[in-house]
Amino acid sequence: MNVYVLGLAIHEPSSRLDALRLEELVYRTARAALDDAGVTRGQLDSVTLGSCDELDGRSISSMLMAMPAGAYLTDEIKVTDSGASALCLATARLKSEDFDLGMVASWCKSSKTDVESVMRLRGEPFFTRPFGLNMLLSDALFAQAVELAFGIGEEEVVGRVRASYERAARNPRGMGFEVPSAADLRASVREAMPLRKGYRAPLTDGAVCMVLASERWLDRNPGHTPMAQVTGVGWATDSYRLGEQRLRSMNSARVAWRNALRQAGLDGAGGIDVIEIESQTGYHEAAYVRAFGLPEHVAVSPSGGPFAQNPLFCTGLVGAAEAVLQVAGRAGAVQVPRVRRAAAHSCHGYAQQGNVVMVFEAAGAGIA
Amino acid sequence: MSGNTAEPARGYLTEQVTLRYDYAFGEVVGTFMDGLKNRKILATRCSKSAMVYLPPRAFCERSFEKCDSWVEAGHEGVIEASTIVVRGFEGSRPPPIAVAYVRLDGVDSAIVNYVEGLDLSDVEAAMRRICPGTRVSVEFIDEPQGSITDFHYRLLTDDGSAARAGGR
Amino acid sequence: MPEVVAVLGTYQSQFKLRHPELTFVEQAQHAAFGALQAAGMTPDDIDAIVFSLAPTAFMGVADADRWSIDHIFGAGKPMMRVHTGGATGGSVVHAAHALVRSGMFRTVMIVGAERISETPDAQKVLNQIFDPFYEKEMPLQTITTVALMANAYMQRHAITQEHLAHLVVRQRRSAMNNPHAHLKGNITIADVMASPMISYPFKRFDCCPRSSGSAAMIVGNLDSVREHQSKPAFINGVGSVSDSNWIGDRIVPTAHADFIDWKLMALAGRECFRRAGITDPINQIQVAEVYDAFSIQGLIQLEQLGFCSSGTAFRLECDDAWDIDGMVAVCPSGGTLCSNPIAVSGLVRAIEAANQVMGTAGGHQIPNVRNAVATAVGGIAQFLSCTVFGADIMKEH
Repeated sequence: MNVYVLGLAIHEPSSRLDALRLEELVYRTARAALDDAGVTRGQLDSVTLGSCDELDGRSISSMLMAMPAGAYLTDEIKVTDSGASALCLATARLKSEDFDLGMVASWCKSSKTDVESVMRLRGEPFFTRPFGLNMLLSDALFAQAVELAFGIGEEEVVGRVRASYERAARNPRGMGFEVPSAADLRASVREAMPLRKGYRAPLTDGAVCMVLASERWLDRNPGHTPMAQVTGVGWATDSYRLGEQRLRSMNSARVAWRNALRQAGLDGAGGIDVIEIESQTGYHEAAYVRAFGLPEHVAVSPSGGPFAQNPLFCTGLVGAAEAVLQVAGRAGAVQVPRVRRAAAHSCHGYAQQGNVVMVFEAAGAGIA
Repeated sequence: MSGNTAEPARGYLTEQVTLRYDYAFGEVVGTFMDGLKNRKILATRCSKSAMVYLPPRAFCERSFEKCDSWVEAGHEGVIEASTIVVRGFEGSRPPPIAVAYVRLDGVDSAIVNYVEGLDLSDVEAAMRRICPGTRVSVEFIDEPQGSITDFHYRLLTDDGSAARAGGR
Repeated sequence: MPEVVAVLGTYQSQFKLRHPELTFVEQAQHAAFGALQAAGMTPDDIDAIVFSLAPTAFMGVADADRWSIDHIFGAGKPMMRVHTGGATGGSVVHAAHALVRSGMFRTVMIVGAERISETPDAQKVLNQIFDPFYEKEMPLQTITTVALMANAYMQRHAITQEHLAHLVVRQRRSAMNNPHAHLKGNITIADVMASPMISYPFKRFDCCPRSSGSAAMIVGNLDSVREHQSKPAFINGVGSVSDSNWIGDRIVPTAHADFIDWKLMALAGRECFRRAGITDPINQIQVAEVYDAFSIQGLIQLEQLGFCSSGTAFRLECDDAWDIDGMVAVCPSGGTLCSNPIAVSGLVRAIEAANQVMGTAGGHQIPNVRNAVATAVGGIAQFLSCTVFGADIMKEH
């Protein structure tokens, strides 16, 4: 059963969104996605959420968040890995033929709590937590490992960060941060070797929703034009132990990439026109383009990626939405010409413990 | 380490975890809390579904439209569900405490709060006095602060059974 | 055509207050290893993992699922964690079912662990699930909110505390045949009535214990069945429905799915039974492992699933209709009431139901089980899931 994206919405990003409570943020985004898809809440037969209790400040966050995502008297389920993971499960739910019209919703108010405190709480209490492992330290360990593995120089990192900010500045759905100069970046404080503050994407508040439809639903509901087909979703996880091999091998990223491409019927990166990468730091982008073996012609993160907006838990699903917009020709000022296939990548957990890759294709392009 | 012991070392690592969260008031909480300061209980209404909600909310889960007006709730209502917490809860008030979900007049949904002024020495008897269907009134504290505990419920008469509503 | 999905092997630990001799990840490992052994499989036979983990605040490690990766042979594999509160253990089965049924994976291992007693503050954690402005200040947690609903149900249908006690006595007795159960024993109705009142009408014996333990289930497609399991349980139906978090919306005349009578379960059951081809539950289903963290919860679900009419289940209870040799064996394992490792409680219901179909339930095996139903309940009975396991493959229609 083929699965399509029928509509989507990305909430306007903010450094600190005080005007709306979490439910209201998600309601607005879900409603906008339904409107974009031209369907009503009552038509949904499944809702798949991606959220994190510890970031939301609730013990079972979906209790308050399922309804704003449109789940009233509907089959609803939640994953806690990342927003992109919710898209993967939602795709499986539609492919299983048990469901035909699904909402995928994810959100994150990074400003609501001290994210690094939550990250420390993620560490197991005996060996990891006592030395304060958090996002900064694990990203620094990753940066160091890939720096050595791929010979990534600081020059390249500065260049990639600057380019990301430049693309992000054109993105109508981004924060519109000022583009820092190379000198600014190089002069920013060293937070943990080799990471400087300027190399890391600032956290923001945001939400993103997508409406998925099965081919069967589209057949039964003529007049709806899908934005893109979801042709491949792959995900994988890495060892919890942050050894050098674990960090540099990027094994789960490669497995996710391979699985997504295989599902999409592709035998390499050649068929991909655009990829949105969740580059939490400049090192990430440099490492992922190598791990995925992306050829020159592939446009990397035209949206600016996390440097446009970075609602941590759902940044990867925002990237997926950006990829869908590219395929649908609706990306606006950051639109890449003639996009037939776009991929999106997301990573989550310590030093990218989990990776997700999604492939979207222009609707109809895959049908012979 | 010396010697070979068959028993592994047993123990616990104890840690106190504190996280701070800022819960934004959002679109309606502030209006509701301000209402309380003026001894008003404000509900939101969705014109599409015609539902009037307490606690107030910005949108209607059913119609999936925004709630588009404020309605002042009556200061009397009917108990829809109740219990008396006897032990085992370390909340802000020591048990025994009576709580009830009350559907205030003019509102479609029920809102939870304490029931005050009940003799809780005989739990069975107290439960009979606050059983579903019983009418209660709202009582505000002397100086409302803009918090849910600014008000609570009280039985309408000394004899709760005389104040029973028709039920459904 | 979607793939057929079947249970290949299961494992559950003993459930008790604490497992100080194990860490969380070791508990998860025991479960993963146990299920692999039960299915005669190796870690290489597993294509993907779904982790069953409810609130992490109970054991104090956010993302404890990831801490478990290496212990459950997960490194390099696709893995995701599902969390729908108490319904988690039902939702993980539905997620794994979708992953196999979609054709994405041949086999999926579901695994999880719980050690709720790692914190003395479990009820504070459970107060943290409520709205921060309107509800958190109130003495609301799982016991008190279910008590609120129970009082209204009991008034509506003239059910007494003795009716509830009858069920507690039966399930504690059934649990004596289940080596995994936490609470068990021959108790009397007088014992239940004499146990201390917590939140009216619930006394201590009406409430589940806080349990530590772990569980796992491996599911796979028809190819994997041929390779690994001569007597599988087929997952023939899944149904799950969510309702508003606002209890006050759900107990009033305008409620679409009245919470007092648990109408929401009728919606979940209807979808599940439609998919499973169940039209006459009382005659087609021999075992019901309904999720009952409190004495009131299980039988209300039976009513909504169509085993009997609304308001009658507790009277039938007193006629022994739900005993191991009654009309339908209800929670022959002792149920959640006797063991509640929250993160995997729903999974244990599913495991018990599947084991009954596979004939591997052990001392509490019911003879000739063709179909068994398992449910799970999350939030304040806001997330309900229902799953039917059958000895035969459901014919697609």
